[in-house]
Amino acid sequence: MSTRTLVNAARRLVERRATIIPAIVESTGLTPEGVELALTKHLEVEATDDELARLEASTPKTSRVTVILSANVFVGALRAIAVARAAAPAVVVRPSRRDPTFARALVEEAADPAITIADDLDVAAIVEGEIHVYGRDQTIAEVRAKASPRVVVRGHGSGMGVAIVTHHDEASARGLAEDVVVFDQRGCLSPRVALVLGDASSFADALHEELERLDAAVPRGQVPGDERAAIGSYVATMTYASRALVGRSHVVGVAPEGSPLLLPPPYRHVHVAPVASIEAAAESLGPLVHGIATIGANDRAAGDALARALGIRVRVSELGRMQRPPLDGPVDLRA
Amino acid sequence: MDLAKSNALHARARAFVAAFERGDPAPEAFDVLACDIARYQIENSEGYARLVRARGLDPKMLVEATALPPVPTDAFKLTRVATFDEAETKTVFRTSGTTIGARGSHPMRDEGVATYDAAAVAYGRRWLMRDLEERVPVIVLGPSPDDAPDSSLVHMCAAFAAAFGSSVDYVIEGDIIDVSRFDERVAYALTDERPMLVLATSFALVHFIEGMDDVQFRLPARSRVMQTGGFKGKSREVEPHALRAEVARIFAIPSPAIIGEYGMTELTSQFYEERENAYVEPPWARVIPVDPDTLEPVEDGEVGIAKIIDLMNVDSAVAVLASDRVRRIAGGFELLGRQPGAAPRGCSIAIDEILGRS
Repeated sequence: MSTRTLVNAARRLVERRATIIPAIVESTGLTPEGVELALTKHLEVEATDDELARLEASTPKTSRVTVILSANVFVGALRAIAVARAAAPAVVVRPSRRDPTFARALVEEAADPAITIADDLDVAAIVEGEIHVYGRDQTIAEVRAKASPRVVVRGHGSGMGVAIVTHHDEASARGLAEDVVVFDQRGCLSPRVALVLGDASSFADALHEELERLDAAVPRGQVPGDERAAIGSYVATMTYASRALVGRSHVVGVAPEGSPLLLPPPYRHVHVAPVASIEAAAESLGPLVHGIATIGANDRAAGDALARALGIRVRVSELGRMQRPPLDGPVDLRA
Repeated sequence: MDLAKSNALHARARAFVAAFERGDPAPEAFDVLACDIARYQIENSEGYARLVRARGLDPKMLVEATALPPVPTDAFKLTRVATFDEAETKTVFRTSGTTIGARGSHPMRDEGVATYDAAAVAYGRRWLMRDLEERVPVIVLGPSPDDAPDSSLVHMCAAFAAAFGSSVDYVIEGDIIDVSRFDERVAYALTDERPMLVLATSFALVHFIEGMDDVQFRLPARSRVMQTGGFKGKSREVEPHALRAEVARIFAIPSPAIIGEYGMTELTSQFYEERENAYVEPPWARVIPVDPDTLEPVEDGEVGIAKIIDLMNVDSAVAVLASDRVRRIAGGFELLGRQPGAAPRGCSIAIDEILGRS
């Protein structure tokens, strides 16, 4: 399988990660510990043959795929290129200009003659196959506008995760904290909102404790100025409205009962809101529904029920596995 | 809730307005009243008490308005920002709800509405009616108070119409601008060259201009147009300078006759544009640029987030944190819009993107 070649290359990169971590730290703003965590726990180097077979079987075939990586978490390059390679015998990858290290290293390590790197790309000059673009809605729209009508453009946009917590135990809080910390919560699967059936306040306390522990083990990276403003405002808002649990590099906001949802900024901020039922959770998430890329749950049936109630097709994972979906297709099933 | 105390604070706040109208100096120090209102809000609002405690402040030691912790506008979406019981509520102004379905609410009791009207009319008169001695016909390019009873902007326009108008016409019903009514009123005013006052939101002006194509709609000499608010996704966005030029062209009025107003539902006071992007506060409100991290005032001339001290917000939040960036300039402040989104790293979604998809 051509995708296995890529996975093996990724594994070799992890083994010699010391050579690429400094450049990734520089370009992503994550700390060395954050990059280490992403590479060692969230890169799909343990993908099974069964997962890869599903990936290859479920991917529509075409003659050629051009992959544009503009905004994604850096390890996402493996899945993006694997999906493209499963689709076509010829793949051209344009790495993110801001964050090219991992994608470039992966392509070089794979040494698959079917995959080439293109630093400069004229979208309008692509005349066949598909373009897979990973980025903001605006980037995807720009690529669509420029692309030839003969080329299929598949957009993989930004997103967020939500968690539904039906009962709380230490493992649930720990799992959610792990999902939050990786990539400093900048991934399109990163949970930003946790809806809790029952005592949201005590779950928030447990989550705060787990995040505090992880803040020490995996320090947060740089936070840009505009996000710092959003963080200050979020803390003051939640303090006024109810409760803000402020850690060394995270915040857990506890929402007042029945209040509308507020989307907290990324960089380790979780909005914990009490809900009376799955239906009530779906109702409160209504305005955010177009942004939800995954649901995490400590009760799989509750996660599935929430997805059904929202009327969306998304991955549903256990808490602690929201950022580790199997390598069996795109992370985002919304398209 | 101590209504007598609140009423006394309202009276002190309105004394600022009365002094302004008489051309007298402020009746007391701004900081003294601001801190007294803050202490009242600490005593009567658990949320504000928490915010003050979280900043490590002792209410008794508050002496400067700049030190008051601001309540972010998002708090008005999540919880009731008020120092009085629900039963005392006279009206609730609501934001237009551009943020993920949540609308901010600003409840007011009788005294609050009276204070709102007094402050808005006094400062509005200074900017909109300067050198006009008589009442003028007022046209509101917006809905009537009956159609939008929870809009503070509509309430303000109605207060202006009552205070300054010889007649008032609301020419928007639903999504329709009644151009023929507008035309009729303008034609009538032109017969005796009486100046008019047009009160309009930016997005209504854009729709009006688009509907008129290249047609000019000359207003009588000395007329003026108050332009307020953003676009809120209700029309295409137009760069402020370009919109001003278009408004001047279509109404055949000089650019200085177009007066920008900046206000928000969470405030009781308004600000007016003296020159492009440069706004002036009334003596009862101050805009302080603060560091986004520390919420401390930035150095003079530096850009910060707008912390607004509004002495008229007696029963809600005397200090409000907006999301706009501002810079102090001589005599006022420069309004620089929202914090520009630095190109985000990663694929975590932003609120604006969710709004764009809905």
